[in-house]
Amino acid sequence: MTRIRVLAGLLAAMLAGTAMAAPPATLLPPLESQARQDDPAFAGFSAERGGRFFADKHGGKWSCASCHTPDPRNDGRHAATGRPIAALAPSANPQRLTDPAKVDKWFRRNCRDVVARECSAAEKGDVITYLLSLQ
Amino acid sequence: MSAIPSSKPQSSSSPGQTMRILVWDVPTRVFHWLLALSFAGAYITAESESWALTHATLGYTFAGLILFRLVWGVVGTRHARFSDFAFGPRSVMRYLRSLLSSKPEHHVGHNPAGSWAIYAILLGGLAIGLSGYALYNDIGGEAFEEVHEFFGNAVLLVVIVHILGVVVSSLLHRENLPRSMVDGYKQGESAQAIRGPRWIVGAALAAAVFGFWLNVNGVRDTLVGAPVEQLADAQSTGQAGDHDEDDD
Repeated sequence: MTRIRVLAGLLAAMLAGTAMAAPPATLLPPLESQARQDDPAFAGFSAERGGRFFADKHGGKWSCASCHTPDPRNDGRHAATGRPIAALAPSANPQRLTDPAKVDKWFRRNCRDVVARECSAAEKGDVITYLLSLQ
Repeated sequence: MSAIPSSKPQSSSSPGQTMRILVWDVPTRVFHWLLALSFAGAYITAESESWALTHATLGYTFAGLILFRLVWGVVGTRHARFSDFAFGPRSVMRYLRSLLSSKPEHHVGHNPAGSWAIYAILLGGLAIGLSGYALYNDIGGEAFEEVHEFFGNAVLLVVIVHILGVVVSSLLHRENLPRSMVDGYKQGESAQAIRGPRWIVGAALAAAVFGFWLNVNGVRDTLVGAPVEQLADAQSTGQAGDHDEDDD
């Protein structure tokens, strides 16, 4: 069992190494121009707004915090399956927000679960700014 | 369902004379419909985290059913055995060509084209099950996501072709193939009938699947070490007491 774990860890490390690592901040400019396009009055992302978005259930069953805990620096747990989820804040988990495709994918999936629609560029930017603000 | 094979022939039944005979045993039929159900259910719950537990439950069911079928393909009744439908590519071509002719080839068991759909679904299903297991248990990282999705869509494609094939074949042979997968009977010579429906194995298979479904919360809590509701509640203490909903 441990040997399987070690092998799996090695494999995971190799796969992680092949992914293009980009600094988290590079995620923001494209979202920013999209947000400006969506709303000409857009005045920049806000960590505070992102934090509120993160904690809110938006009238549904779950908030982001339901799985990621109210403090995204903590490891989380899937609210339906109980599977562990690694911490979301890059300060606690440097792997986070380094792969744009992955960020995209999980916003797409999880926004459906929390707000029952896609998130806007402004919402994504706020949440990313919030996660980056946590030290 | 009819348990008695109607194939107890009068001694006068001669070869070439077709009658209603039992072809598919109960385990094969239970397997078929539960596999279809678990695949369809897993497919439509794939894009949502709210349905993640349902998706994983149906995925485990799907993979377990395939493992059962691999065994049953060796020890099952005549037409359920792989040896009964081990057709090469030439048989498949000949069969497909015959469908265009006025005398379409008739097979009591699986026809060559259908048999290839079965092999594709079993093999693709194994790939889905293994990659899904790896994803669910965090073995090997995100590479398996692509594998999982690819084979999920590939098997869906085969399923669609399979359904179209069943429709075409049913019309050409004037034989209701979906119904035969429900009651087990087809037209054939008495010598080709299977001897018994294998009720007990079929019931055990169904019971195992339903038992797993009923117990899935217990299975999940054992896997993660604590009731998930408690974990979720412990986490939302930062917020107002708003965990009023119960899941499932």
